[in-house]
Amino acid sequence: MTPENLLRRPQPVEKLTLGCPVMDRCLAGGIPCESITEIVAESGSGKTQLCLQLALLAQLPPSLGGLSASSIYLHSEFPFPTRRLHQLAAQFHAHHLQDLIATGRDQRYDPMDGILVQSVHTADQLLDIMTQTESFLQNSQTQFPVRLIVIDSIAALFRSEFDNTSIDLMKRSSLFFKISGKLKSLASRFRLAVVVTNQVVDYVGDGMNGLKIGNLEELYSSGRRVCPALGLAWSNCVNSRLFLSREEDEKANNCSVERSEEDGGFGSRTTRRWLHLVFAPHLAPSSCEFVIRREGISGVDR
Amino acid sequence: MDPWKLPISSAIQRKRLLSQSYTSHASASPSDLACADRASDVIYLLLIEPQVITSKFSVFSFLFVIGAQNAWDILLEEESMTRITTSCAELDKILGGGISCKEVTEIGGVPGIGKTQLGIQLAVNVQIPCYYGGLGGKAIYIDTEGSFMVERVLQIAEACTEDMAEYGRFLGKSIQARQVEMGPKDFLENIYYFRVCSYTEQIGLENYLDKFISEHRDVKIIVIDSVAFQFRQDFDDLAQRTRVLSAMALKLMKLAKKFSLAVVLLNQVTTKVIEGSFQLALALGDSWSHSCTNRLILYWNGDERYAYIDKSPSLRSASAPYSVTSRGIRNSSSNS
Repeated sequence: MTPENLLRRPQPVEKLTLGCPVMDRCLAGGIPCESITEIVAESGSGKTQLCLQLALLAQLPPSLGGLSASSIYLHSEFPFPTRRLHQLAAQFHAHHLQDLIATGRDQRYDPMDGILVQSVHTADQLLDIMTQTESFLQNSQTQFPVRLIVIDSIAALFRSEFDNTSIDLMKRSSLFFKISGKLKSLASRFRLAVVVTNQVVDYVGDGMNGLKIGNLEELYSSGRRVCPALGLAWSNCVNSRLFLSREEDEKANNCSVERSEEDGGFGSRTTRRWLHLVFAPHLAPSSCEFVIRREGISGVDR
Repeated sequence: MDPWKLPISSAIQRKRLLSQSYTSHASASPSDLACADRASDVIYLLLIEPQVITSKFSVFSFLFVIGAQNAWDILLEEESMTRITTSCAELDKILGGGISCKEVTEIGGVPGIGKTQLGIQLAVNVQIPCYYGGLGGKAIYIDTEGSFMVERVLQIAEACTEDMAEYGRFLGKSIQARQVEMGPKDFLENIYYFRVCSYTEQIGLENYLDKFISEHRDVKIIVIDSVAFQFRQDFDDLAQRTRVLSAMALKLMKLAKKFSLAVVLLNQVTTKVIEGSFQLALALGDSWSHSCTNRLILYWNGDERYAYIDKSPSLRSASAPYSVTSRGIRNSSSNS
């Protein structure tokens, strides 16, 4: 065994852009490779939107913040949003085709080809897929190797299968560590960015899940205080944690009214969304506001 | 080696040894040993060349006393023990000056509290040259979680060089003249980084460390971030895990003593059910908690980060605030 020469490592570590400068600034360039980034949010906050967008952006060349790579998208929440992906892909295609061709993509290139989608139903199946992925990554010789794995969502795999008894909880956390260990070893071997989404549960009190994890004092979404699902054990398994929150804004200001109408929203009710960085080994906590549009997610500069 | 050079305190005892013609280990035969009128003489004989003698007389292996020290020597040694600063004055104060060399220190806390930050800070601080009051050593960083970010190390190293430059100006020209330019890149070069992806790798690496450090004597700290992660997966047999872990802890302790370096183990926290209520405890179980000499627990107190000495043979339990800034671990902002 020889130590790795840190000077020979890419500096800073390769990052996958989030597709807009505001959000990238929040994360100092984007989702880092060789580590696990978790996106925690309640349903309807934009987790899946962000994941789909990342799967597309990974195909960009490094000069534009991408990884020049394909991605594996494992989904455990059904159905898979094919229509939305198609919509985003079309936008992406129109917007970036010239850049992509300039960096070696085929003229008839379709961004949908660069996303390998697989459904997952149980945690054990996820482990099996991980083993397959390993041999797949080893043997793949394409010009655009897989550099991004998205798991959307990890919580759905665990929330039904296990009881709330101590034996089951132990089994569950051992599985967490197994999955995370496998993901991390894949990530470091093949320089992958790994993005895992997680759901939230309501905050029920200090004794149960009120433990403060990360830099944010309290997490609020839709006016409720929430906690990431899967508990403390899982929190130990990720490297960075992002939290997306949303608030209904009754007194909408002008620009957001326009936005909501554009989305086909409901009258004057608008949703304001924020991206918070809860913890990351390389970054201080920060947050920014974002909107979900037809062409994808983008940050709002304020 | 002959008895003249033995670390025997009393001249009388040395004389007696010589008068009984124990001039070297070769002259000590089994019968001599058997006849040695005092048990202490036998011990001195064994001091001469323990390997040779114990191989001859395995009966005496229980008298293996090479390297034995009396409490006075140990006290002197402890007083001269070097420490690695944490860059936070209050934290250093409760630690008696910093993380002590020759000892194993465990640091635990919830995700996001700054364990990795502290680990990186120590790996940088150990390299502060002697004339700035540092150790001028190198660091081994064993990363099991993948949280080691080179850009963050660079940031902390840059802040450290700035601080050193300022300190140099403060001390005047004598230092500046001797100052060897140490850039952030040099800090990176002096960290031996190992990425470990399974517990077999981790154990293998820890066995190899002895050899590695013998070849790199200037290593003054080993940081394992985190010791728990690989051991919390795939272990159905918890008794076996305990055995493996305590063997590992012993090995690390031995390394710390042998090469007088600091071993810092970062650990995760877990919930433990005590009489029906959930409480926080460091991972890896109760028997593991005996494995480390010192134990430091990091926790949130409102919006502030605190460190608490949970276990230490020489320090009293105390807590101190600290903060994690863009420049690394620093004094708590509210007190400074």
